Parts: sequence; structure tokens; C-alpha cells
Amino acid sequence: MMAPALEIKNLTHYYYKGTKNQIAAVENVSLTVEKGETLGIIGHTGSGKSTLISHFNGLLKPDEGEVIVDGKNIFENKETLRQSRFKVGLCFQYPEYQLFEETVYKDIAFGPKNMKLPSEEIDRRVQNAAKLAGVKQELLNKSPFDLSGGEKRRAAIAGVMSMEPEVLVLDEPAAGLDPAGRLDLIKMIRHYRDVTGCTVIIVSHSMEDIARIADRVCVLANAKVAMHGTVKEVYSKGDELRSMGLNVPEITRIMLMLREKGIDVPADIYSPDDAVSAVRNYIEGRRGV
Amino acid sequence: MSEKLIEFRNVTYIYETDEEDEAPSVPALDGVNLTVSKGEFLCVLGHNGSGKSTLAKMCNAILEPTDGEVIVAGMSTKEEENGDLIRRKVGMVFQNPDNQIVATIVEDDVAFGPENLGVEPSEIRRRVDEALKAVNMYDLRLRQPHNLSGGQKQRVAIAGVLAMQTEVIVLDEPTAMLDPVGRQEVLSTIHKLNKELGITVIMVTHFMEEAVDADRVIVMNAGRIVLDGTPREVFSNTAAVKSCGLDVPQSTELCSRLGVKRTVLTAQEAVEEIIKLCGGVV
Repeated sequence: MMAPALEIKNLTHYYYKGTKNQIAAVENVSLTVEKGETLGIIGHTGSGKSTLISHFNGLLKPDEGEVIVDGKNIFENKETLRQSRFKVGLCFQYPEYQLFEETVYKDIAFGPKNMKLPSEEIDRRVQNAAKLAGVKQELLNKSPFDLSGGEKRRAAIAGVMSMEPEVLVLDEPAAGLDPAGRLDLIKMIRHYRDVTGCTVIIVSHSMEDIARIADRVCVLANAKVAMHGTVKEVYSKGDELRSMGLNVPEITRIMLMLREKGIDVPADIYSPDDAVSAVRNYIEGRRGV
Repeated sequence: MSEKLIEFRNVTYIYETDEEDEAPSVPALDGVNLTVSKGEFLCVLGHNGSGKSTLAKMCNAILEPTDGEVIVAGMSTKEEENGDLIRRKVGMVFQNPDNQIVATIVEDDVAFGPENLGVEPSEIRRRVDEALKAVNMYDLRLRQPHNLSGGQKQRVAIAGVLAMQTEVIVLDEPTAMLDPVGRQEVLSTIHKLNKELGITVIMVTHFMEEAVDADRVIVMNAGRIVLDGTPREVFSNTAAVKSCGLDVPQSTELCSRLGVKRTVLTAQEAVEEIIKLCGGVV
């Protein structure tokens, strides 16, 4: 059987370790992400999401537990750790703040250059990543600082895609974008996943965005995995999610409220399209009786 | 009649390009006329790059119009000597809570503004306590800001503005980086300040459902105000809203697609209308 793309086994990470303020930011988390899968990670602020994903390529070392990428424990030796940096591409929140090169091209090329690849291969990767991330050709020779906010965001994501990681991890990739921009960015990531077959892990507060892209969802609350399942399984538990500082999409909330009133529509609805059909089906069903 | 607090008179703003090689840039604001009355809760919507933040920064003289005039409480932002007075009337809260906290203790951070104004220490104490109570952060006044949640940090930032006794708070996407609960905390705080203290609020947001409780909504596109009205008026025009790269709230969309005549804004209203469609309570 194929090894999972990423396996987290009983991972614990403490802050202020060994002091009286010691606190577990991530506590005994286990997680398996299969190759080609898209996993959504959601959780309230401070639930441990960003700390957890910083372990995926060894930026943080767990106090307890293991991180296994493509069948190998990444902390086995220096080389496995180095490899994990290339295999797992991490794109942090507001990545555009990390653009620094003279041109967009150089910025996107920074990762592959560090991988000591030949220059033709670097060029191929830059062009390919720019295309996948939706960075227009004519922007490549501009300074990253002359780009619009949305363009910068895409350039920064291209800078991670150009390493051609097996697992792409994105922390709040659509934060701060307008509704159309959010949708475009989610579509871009979906397209990237479909074209490359890569594993994608996406961290977000937006239950709507996660519903649009993820196969499975992992909910973190107070440093632990509180729920884990398909989007439908997780989103049907509105009350539990609310108790964890999260919320279901507005449309799902309407369905849950209707059910409380005795109108028997499904609870696992999270897009206006599905809601329209659900209500119509219900009305037709009643007429039929 | 309500008192005019901020007035945009045919305001145009063009960001300067650094080199001549660039084509002349398009105006970020293009002939904007807008009057904000005392006590009003105004929500500004628009896609990225539509001019929302530029408009926000003009309200307290961070930016001055290239053309036209912005008048705040009778003072033009173009006159340099008005700058300090205007900034005492109009406070700003930005998107990223981590970029606007300066002190290592919550109450010191809130005191920073009035201290700079040279307010008496006993008066500072009073203002800081009041401001922290208003945003429901008084119990956490001795905490270190970096140990607070995003929503709590934003409320500290709002308290900092309140302690300056500003009449207007301009918030530029204050909830963009927060989780759902943090967003709710900050929003209910802003509404409370508007209702109970009569603070005028101008809030820029990308979240349509945050606009439904405003008194008035304006939609910006390409540097102009293209829609202006109550939330119900604006969101009833789904096609126009969508053509600006925005969306209507999910409740609004669902009901309009189900053929409900009235423009619905909230989940509660949507439930009422759907129950009617289903032939009343089961």
C-alpha cells in the first residue's frame, strides 16, 4: 500500500516548556493525510492550527510524537529534515509580506534556487508555478511591490508552488480578499490540485471556503482534534461547532433553524444551490402527501 | 436635522507613481461625494482595489485629496494645522491587530493616545477604565497583549481610540483576521458603542453579513460610490452588487432564488419566509 503523504502521530508541542506557564499548544494530535487528498483544518484563534502546521516540514520540533512525510520520520537526520522542506511547502498567512526580491520572477525562483536546481529547470518551474497561481506573464519582471494585493498574494503562493512540493499547506490563503477574489483563489487552488494531483492542506476560518474545496475536515479546539470527518459529517454538527468558537455557514444555520421548527430539510447543506433544491424538494414532498 | 460630521466634496485621489516610466495611474477615488451624519453607522463595501481603504484614510487626514475637499467637523483636511484636531475627532482601527498595539500591558496601550495628548494622569486613568469597560476588556486590563486572542486585541485597539474621546471611529476591515467568535465580539462591541455612546461608525468590510445591521451601506467600484442606501435597498439589487465583485448575504440569495418578494437580510428572516413558503408552521 502507498504510504500516506503525511502522518502525524501523537504530536504534542508545549510553549514555555519547563516553566510554570507551560501550556500545550498542540496536544496529542494524530492525523493522516492520504496522497492527493485535500484536508481542511479549522479551529478558533489560538486552537493550535498554525503551531500544528509548522511541524509539517520541521519548522517546529514536536516535544512528543512524530511527523512522517512520505513514509519517513522527518527528524531522523539532517537530510530527512532538509527533504521535508522541499516535500512539504508551507505558505503562511498574508504571504505577500514575505516578498523581498527585486522582481517577481526572482521571488518565485528563490525556492528552486535553494534546491540547487539547474537554471533551465528553475525557469521551467517559475513559469509553471506562475501559470498555476495565476500570475500574469507580464508581471514577472516587475518589482513585487508594484503589484496589487491580490497579485502579490498569488506571487507569494507561486513561490511555494515552484518548489513543486508533494504537499502544499496554505494558512488562510484567502484572508482579506473580497468575495470574488476569495472564490477565484479557491478555484485556483482546486485547479492546481487537479492538474498536479498534489496533496493540499488548507487552514481557514471560513467554513464556506473549506466547504468549497476540502474532502475531509479536521477541527481543532483547545490544542486537540475535536472532530474529524467529511465536510458533510462535520458541518451537520452546528451546535458542537458553535461551542468551539466556530460557526457553520449562514445557509447551514438556516437549515438547522428550519429543522428546529419541524421542517424536515437535510442538515448537511452548505451552499445556496443545495439549499434551494432542499427547500423545493421539501415543498414538493409535502404537496405529494 | 442631523448634523454633518464628515463631508466629501467631489474628492479625487491619485496615488503618485515613483517613476515617470509608469503610465499615469488611475484615480483611487474619482469624484466622490459623501456626507456622514453624527451617530450614523455606515458600512463601506467594495472589491479589493475599489477605493474603500483610500476613502477610509481620507476621513482623518492620513491622506489628503488630490482634488476636492474632505471636511471633518467643519475643518478641511487640506489645512495642515487641522490634522491633529481632526485625528482627535476621528480614530482609526486597522485590519491587523498585531500592528497597532504598542505597549506591553493592555491598559498602558489604551493610555498611549491620551498620554500623547498631554491629558492629566487622573483623567487618563478615568478614560482608560471607561474605554476598557466599554469594550468589555476591563477584567483583562493587566494582561499582556500578545497573550490575547485576535478579537480581544482588536477590542483593545478600539478602546485606545475611545480613550482619545473621538466622535468617529473608522474601521478598515477590523474582522478580516479573526475567527467567527472574535468577529462577533468585535462587531457587537462596535454596535454597542454606536447605540449607547452615539459614536459615529464608518466600517469597511468584505463580509456582506456584517453590513446588514448598518444604518447605511455604500458600495464602491473603481473609485466611485455606485450604490448607496439602507442594507435592504442595496442588497435588493443583487445583480448590481454582484457586478461589483461582491455578493449578497446567503440568506438574501436563498430567498430571492426561492421567489420570496421581500428582500431578506438575516437567517432569522429567511427562516420566517421559508416557513410561509412551506405553508406555515408544521
